[in-house]
Amino acid sequence: MTLTVRLAGPATTVSGRGQRWAEARAGSLLALPAAVYFLLFWVVPFAGAVWLSFTDYELAGVPAWTGLDNYRRLLGDPGFWNSAQVTALYTLASVVPSIVLALAIAVPLSRPGRLNGVLRALVMVPAAMPLVATSMVWSAIFADEGLANTLIGLVGGGPLPWLTDERLALWALVIMTTWKHLGLFVIILTAGLQGLPSGVFEAAAIDGAGPLRIFARITLPLLRRTLLFVLVIAVIGAMQSFVPAFLLTKGGPAGATEVLPLYLWATGFGFERMGYASAIAMVLLLAMLALSLVQFGVLRGGEDG
Amino acid sequence: MRPSRVGGVLRGTLLSLVVAVMLLPVYAMVAVASASDATDLGGLGFDAARFGEHLTRLFGQGDFPLYLRNSVILSLGVAVLEVVLSGAAGYALAQLAFPGRRVLFAVVVGTLSLSPIVVLVPMYLVVRQLGWIDTFQGMIVPFAVSAFGVFLVRQFALSLPRELLLSARVDGAGELRIFLRVAVPLLRPALLTLFLLQFLAQWDNLLWPLVVANKPGLWPLPVGLSQLQTEYDFSAGLVGTAALVTAVPPLALMFVLQRYYVAGLTLGGVKK
Amino acid sequence: MTLLTRRRLLAAAALTTASGLLSACGGSEPEAAVPADGVPRGKLSVWLHQTKAYDAVFTKLLHSYVQEFGGVDVTPLYVPVDKLDAKLLTAFAGDAPPDLFKIGGWTIAGHARKGRLAPIIPKAMGVPDEKALVAQYDQNAISSLSYQGRLYGVPVDYTICCLYYRRDRFAEAGLDPDKPPATWEEVAEYSKRLTSADGKKVGLQWILGNPQWTLMQLLALVRGKGGGILSADAGTATLASDAGVEALRYYGSVGEAKLSNPLSGFGLFATGQAAMVVSGLFAMDLFPALNKQLVFGRSFDIAPLPHWDGGQPVAPAYTWGWAVAEESKLPYTAWHFIDYLQREDVAARQLKDASLLTPVKGWEKLPGADAKAMEIMAASAPHADFGPRTPVWQEMAKALTDAGDAVAFGKKTPERAAADFDQAMRIAL
Repeated sequence: MTLTVRLAGPATTVSGRGQRWAEARAGSLLALPAAVYFLLFWVVPFAGAVWLSFTDYELAGVPAWTGLDNYRRLLGDPGFWNSAQVTALYTLASVVPSIVLALAIAVPLSRPGRLNGVLRALVMVPAAMPLVATSMVWSAIFADEGLANTLIGLVGGGPLPWLTDERLALWALVIMTTWKHLGLFVIILTAGLQGLPSGVFEAAAIDGAGPLRIFARITLPLLRRTLLFVLVIAVIGAMQSFVPAFLLTKGGPAGATEVLPLYLWATGFGFERMGYASAIAMVLLLAMLALSLVQFGVLRGGEDG
Repeated sequence: MRPSRVGGVLRGTLLSLVVAVMLLPVYAMVAVASASDATDLGGLGFDAARFGEHLTRLFGQGDFPLYLRNSVILSLGVAVLEVVLSGAAGYALAQLAFPGRRVLFAVVVGTLSLSPIVVLVPMYLVVRQLGWIDTFQGMIVPFAVSAFGVFLVRQFALSLPRELLLSARVDGAGELRIFLRVAVPLLRPALLTLFLLQFLAQWDNLLWPLVVANKPGLWPLPVGLSQLQTEYDFSAGLVGTAALVTAVPPLALMFVLQRYYVAGLTLGGVKK
Repeated sequence: MTLLTRRRLLAAAALTTASGLLSACGGSEPEAAVPADGVPRGKLSVWLHQTKAYDAVFTKLLHSYVQEFGGVDVTPLYVPVDKLDAKLLTAFAGDAPPDLFKIGGWTIAGHARKGRLAPIIPKAMGVPDEKALVAQYDQNAISSLSYQGRLYGVPVDYTICCLYYRRDRFAEAGLDPDKPPATWEEVAEYSKRLTSADGKKVGLQWILGNPQWTLMQLLALVRGKGGGILSADAGTATLASDAGVEALRYYGSVGEAKLSNPLSGFGLFATGQAAMVVSGLFAMDLFPALNKQLVFGRSFDIAPLPHWDGGQPVAPAYTWGWAVAEESKLPYTAWHFIDYLQREDVAARQLKDASLLTPVKGWEKLPGADAKAMEIMAASAPHADFGPRTPVWQEMAKALTDAGDAVAFGKKTPERAAADFDQAMRIAL
């Protein structure tokens, strides 16, 4: 299951060198367009952003080299630290529940059956709803007499000021993004689950292992590669999440949902301090890369290293 | 067998309930689409007549079909390019040893983590340098490949059954032929998922088309529809209706494709 | 490619600096841009944010202009107001701005400092010099569009804040709907009587979280106390003063920050949860659009913005303006077209059809608007205050919003918030 086809062994009849050559040629050919694309649209702009992060560039005039000034300023900027905190909380709050929930749905949903087929289709519906176009509806859902409070009223809870309470507002965003992404996670996990070899499960069931034990001991380890993908995507998605806060709360109330990308946006396109914004982006990038490395490390079995 | 049957029914009910909750906001969208004004947003009633009125007004605004057409061109263009280019690169990264492979993967992971906000201006400069301001390629090409897409296809391609690829090689098939004839069919669910997701992403993309397209004739739906909502003044029902109508094509696409990707998932999975 | 992009940036930079210098040295360039025959020509691109009502006026004008001046073609582009700045900035950074655009007067200083704006060309506007042009407008309004002694725009969409109040809520609470509060002290008192036991209905509600409105609301309070948000030369922040702290304390003491509506305070006023709100002329049309039951003069009304008991009246104001890009190759044509949009008969039509006030001299007498509203605005106009004119307006307004919100949500004391604002501005200024 976790084998890679890097032809590590000489187990083929094709001559090793010829095969290597053929692979190199085909690989380069297939990867070339993407490589050119990344170079042009990401590596070059990225290099520009790295350079700008050491300059004072206000979207006009010559970027003036200021060395580490931007990074030094960042350390003492309460706005940055507030946003970093908000982003950390937001990432934790949106990634963990959505992956647990997605797993809880995907495991039963991956079984065959007519009902499951229908549900698998329906679970993707939120993912297909355009977020920008429907954001106005979300502010209506979280309004005083909106759907969220109607639901809470059904179980006897009082109406909550979702978007104007400092502690709640972040959760309103979490609910909205979880709703949007859950279906996607479920579908990807379902794909992974359905690809697992069924023989192992049967053997475990015969050995008398309970469902929870099977899940913890067999399903989860085998699902590592898929989990890794979902986890990396979810964490990066949460840390770069910009649209929900931009559309729903504009960072309010009182900065409670001012996630780092929103602060970055305000700094770059509001205050026109693109040099400083680039420095913030670099810090965010490093944090994300570090987290990704940790995830690749922890779920190493899912990798080909 | 009785307990497991009870369990099955319970499971089915529970799952259905969860999915029903997930669909509630969708219903809220339908309700808002029939709202009379901004003070009428909380209600969950649906007024078909008023909804019809909003529909007529929406389609009566001459440019709506144009925006729809532009959105289709943009979303399809990006989705197709994405599947072809990210698909090829993702497969190559997973299955073929070629020079620069590690570097490319590092770039992919790095790109995944780079904030799009700071590259907005540099990317604009690149597109301008290419003379692509006010063109479809200026809107499409910057999204023709994505780190997400390459990463997705790579993760799936890592699980391709080794024996199949090997036996094809033994049969003397060239690497490109193996990719097209063996790998692509097996990767179909991943590729279709990617197609759908990128279609959706572009269908929902407001900022980049707005920045790059100065001609309303090129505007896709999100930009076009943002005209309905001005700073302080909007007709909630009309905006809600527009949102709902906007959601229909991607939903339809999803339902059409889901037969294939759900069926394909099992096929594409590794059977050992 | 890195080099190319970088060179591009540098070239752009050099260009803007050079042209900035040129225009600073007495502006021989605009003269050169005046065609010998004085006839405007060429293809103009115009960016503006959309309002449905203004669109009706603007489109007609555009057509008649193109008909009258056959050598000109005008391509308008409507950009959503919250994306206008990002689109403009990206275009400026990429040397591809439109010829002319409608921008908030508060952004003029920032753009002008960066050499992005072309000063007005009096000849294109049918006047011998800048002075003659200024004389055609309301002094306060047009001078808010100048930076370091040069005029970079002409005003359109002039707004002076006033107090909106719900007559129905006043009557319910036993207050006389014909006697709106005149002082901030009265506003606080009325607000107490208008607040329901469960806190769901309040008296005055601030527009929270919105930089522009936060600035205007706090400006009225701080200036009314004799203080200032920035020093007179806009060089330092001065909120941490008695006036600033008192203003913030008052800001946090009325209204209920936790009330929520998709359209913030505007929406809360429309639903009746808020009985009073600070707003501009445009809201006369807005509220009936948000809630069809609302009728001006019956269910809601306006009054001059309150002042502190015994204090000076302050009327926070803003105006949008038409401006021309420094990089435009057709500055003459652009200003010529702008002049066409600003004629007096247009101003009257615009006011009537779109509720947009162009502050031409004598605007108080323009027909078409509600008489009471015009009377209030005319009485407030001498006290119009456009707020600190600083190139870092966005940063200031954001920091001020942080301060105001922090107090309103009880996160900081007024003293602390004021000090934090001053600190944030020390870095920015």
